[in-house]
Amino acid sequence: MPMRTTPKPEMPPGALALLVLRVLQGGALHGYAIAQRIHLLSSEVLKVEEGSLYPALQRMLLKGWVKADWGISETNRKVRFYRLTPLGRKQLEVELSDFDRLTEAIRSVLRTA
Amino acid sequence: MLELIRRLHFLLTRRRRERELDDELAFHREMADRAAATPLGDSVRIREDARETWGWMWLDRLAQDLAYAVRLLVRSPGFALAAVATLGVGIGVNVAAFGLFNLIALKPLPVRDPDSLLRFERRAPEAYASDLAYPHMTFLADHATTVSSVLAIHQARLATDRGEKPIRVHFVTANYFADLGAGAAAGRLVQPGLDEVADAGPAVVLSHAYWTRQFGASATIVGATMRLNGRPATVLGVASEEFSGLTLGSPDVWAPIRQQPYFLEGSRLLEDMSAETAGVKMWARRRPGVAPASVEAELAALTATLRAQYPDQLWTDETLPSFPGGYATMGRGTSRGTGSPPDDSALAFLALGGALVLLILCVACANLGGLLLARGVSRERELSIRVAVGAGAGRLVRQLFTESVLLGLLGAASGVALSSVLLRAIAIVSDAPEWLDLSPDWRVLLFAAGLGMLSSLLFGLAPALQVVRRRHGTRRLRQALVAVQVAASAVLLVVSGLLLRAMERGSSTPPGFNYEQVVAIAPRLSDYGFSGGASQVYIDALTRRLAAHPAAAAVAIATVPPLGGVRSVARVERNGAPVDVHLNRVDPNYFRTMRIPILRGRGLAESDARAVVVSESLALRYWPAEDPLGQQYDGHTVIGVAGSARTAALQDSDAVEAYYLRTPDDLPVAVVLVRSTADPESLAAAAAGVAASIDPKVYADIRLLKSAFDERIRQTKMSALAVAGLGVSAMALACLGIVGLVAYTVSQRTREIGIRMALGAPPIHVLSVVLGQLSHPVMGGLIGGMLAAAGLSLLLRRELYGVSHLDPVAYLSAAGVFVAVAVAAALLPARRALKVDPLRALRTD
Repeated sequence: MPMRTTPKPEMPPGALALLVLRVLQGGALHGYAIAQRIHLLSSEVLKVEEGSLYPALQRMLLKGWVKADWGISETNRKVRFYRLTPLGRKQLEVELSDFDRLTEAIRSVLRTA
Repeated sequence: MLELIRRLHFLLTRRRRERELDDELAFHREMADRAAATPLGDSVRIREDARETWGWMWLDRLAQDLAYAVRLLVRSPGFALAAVATLGVGIGVNVAAFGLFNLIALKPLPVRDPDSLLRFERRAPEAYASDLAYPHMTFLADHATTVSSVLAIHQARLATDRGEKPIRVHFVTANYFADLGAGAAAGRLVQPGLDEVADAGPAVVLSHAYWTRQFGASATIVGATMRLNGRPATVLGVASEEFSGLTLGSPDVWAPIRQQPYFLEGSRLLEDMSAETAGVKMWARRRPGVAPASVEAELAALTATLRAQYPDQLWTDETLPSFPGGYATMGRGTSRGTGSPPDDSALAFLALGGALVLLILCVACANLGGLLLARGVSRERELSIRVAVGAGAGRLVRQLFTESVLLGLLGAASGVALSSVLLRAIAIVSDAPEWLDLSPDWRVLLFAAGLGMLSSLLFGLAPALQVVRRRHGTRRLRQALVAVQVAASAVLLVVSGLLLRAMERGSSTPPGFNYEQVVAIAPRLSDYGFSGGASQVYIDALTRRLAAHPAAAAVAIATVPPLGGVRSVARVERNGAPVDVHLNRVDPNYFRTMRIPILRGRGLAESDARAVVVSESLALRYWPAEDPLGQQYDGHTVIGVAGSARTAALQDSDAVEAYYLRTPDDLPVAVVLVRSTADPESLAAAAAGVAASIDPKVYADIRLLKSAFDERIRQTKMSALAVAGLGVSAMALACLGIVGLVAYTVSQRTREIGIRMALGAPPIHVLSVVLGQLSHPVMGGLIGGMLAAAGLSLLLRRELYGVSHLDPVAYLSAAGVFVAVAVAAALLPARRALKVDPLRALRTD
């Protein structure tokens, strides 16, 4: 029976899904590209571990937020591209507004306390 | 919901998805290598984590556990066999009991569209009746729009020309067979167009069983003539073997109801609106989409309309409550009375039977729990290895439960097999109709599987607890399990003891009246349309001629024949509690003929039209502190107190009776009773001749009260035998449990015993140490079982004749038998303790 320890989260829980949804808004990407895009866009601050990215993608497939289609990568290899579904777009909006509310709340506490 | 579907889809395409994920990870690794980024994590783990999000890991684990459990069972076939057999007995008895219940109450009759059938009874605020008058039924059939058809049955017993006892005849509406979708095994069935017309000849349809029994299933019978009550009728055909009709007990012969007066000359069944003569049982098929309540409302409104014509025969505010009609109602007889109908006691009886068979399962589970505990001890090594390599308690418990569930399901499968055998045996003994389909249906299989799961939870609990608590001493737990087994089997033993005693007492003490010597002659003159005056002439002639017979000691008349299966009950309120009074209208000779003593006052005389004789039991209930003589009861003056005689409700020792003088109006339904000084059977034969000589068209039904009584006793006897069988098998299982406990104790304490023997302990002392383990669970279990049995027997007493709830003989003999058997069972393994060699015992370990 395999021993299991929970992976250390690189970012706050839930944020990964939000980020993945957001970078997919620009168009379909494969897994590696998603990780790269997040890494680059965060000015190389955020690093997405494969150990959390792929399980997260599987979960989003199950929820129906993203769909996966086979395509050809820039290195000419068959690979899965993920793209947002209408349900995923709705979810992104929800998560964005939730995130805004949360950061606003935190900020106002930091400002006034 | 969508997510669930996706999840299922993921499960089905799992293998492909795993491959795809691997590809994807490989690609990721390639890219990362190219970018000389940090090395990828453990790909196996990523895959596991990803798979976990699909939510099917439990299935993998289950498959793993199941495979492991199967391997374990195959490795120890002896244990597996013992466990499955024990469970099979426990579950099998329960499945058989449920199977019976299923056949009677849950499974619809094999007729066309049983769900749309409704059965109707008459009800009014102050009266009830199971039967409707025939004109009432036809009025409803002609006018009701919420139903598509109305079916009716009038039951009768008619004499044949084949020398047999009177056969059961169901007079049915002509649409009966076609509407129920019946098929014919030979010839044709009754058909509306052919047999309802005015010039249709008298005709009958045979049941498949009667055809086989009487005519050897010969096809030449079709078109032949057979005589019923001396009247010739053409045999139209034979109903198919599968056809059940609408009653549990199938008749021998069906005939069109319009021809009933042909067979019973003078019968006014077709025109009589009065509720006093026998009517018909009515069913109707509601139209699609119509609720039963709307049908009831329409029929009640129609009945109210009809009442304008028959204000005396139909009741004010009469309703026709409906019941599901497509099910075999358990031998529902004809009943009517005032007040509300008595409660259906069948439910309580079923619950009681259910409780008894569950006890067997209880014993089986406790026994298996003990067996698993013993195995747990020998598996300690295996379990600790598994803990050492990282299995958590949760995982271990899950594994153990998987093993239990596997055993439970195997037990359920063998239980289904056993129950089939049991049901077939019951069907043969109880002479079940041939259309009953005994093979288990989905309800029975589901019940068996559910029971298997439930019992695996029960017997799996003990070993699981042991793992969780990490305590390896299981003495307490095993003692508790033995106590449970002892308690449950003690209940069964005591109850079977009570039943056996009841049977013994039932055949040795009189039920308050003489039944051995009495013959009942029921001419049922009302069936032949006799008026009160004509009946008077017939009954007078019959009583006079019977009294002249040299063997006749006394002759009497009654409206409710003793042990005749007919009841006339008035429910009255007294001191806030309902009392069901059994009524009878009798002539002055009744008490002398039935040998019912008059304890106070005097019996009825011909002049006592406004008088009543009450039973001692009624007097005690009504006037516990006063003198009953001279009191007013129901507008009548009490002139005498008779001994309690449960002529109608043999099994109910709380029954009370009231006797009125018969009037000429009672005579059409009266029964003549003769007490014989010699052999009642020869008197019965003579009575048949006398009855036939008075009016050849009347076929009197002649019965010995003794055979009716024996039939009642037989029911108690069958119940006693069944429960005794349960009790003995429960005891056998409990003894196995005791043997196990003692053997375990001996093996655990070999060292201690060795030391004791080395120090000079006498054998008796050693034995007492070993057996001391048993005294608490056995005693505790016995006491608990006795208390539970006392409670159960209170219920039993109401249902079976002669059961007393506190019969010391039953309790003491059950306890005695149990202790004796338990000690014998314990001594077997305990002998091993005496053979312990002190030296060797001390050297081990």
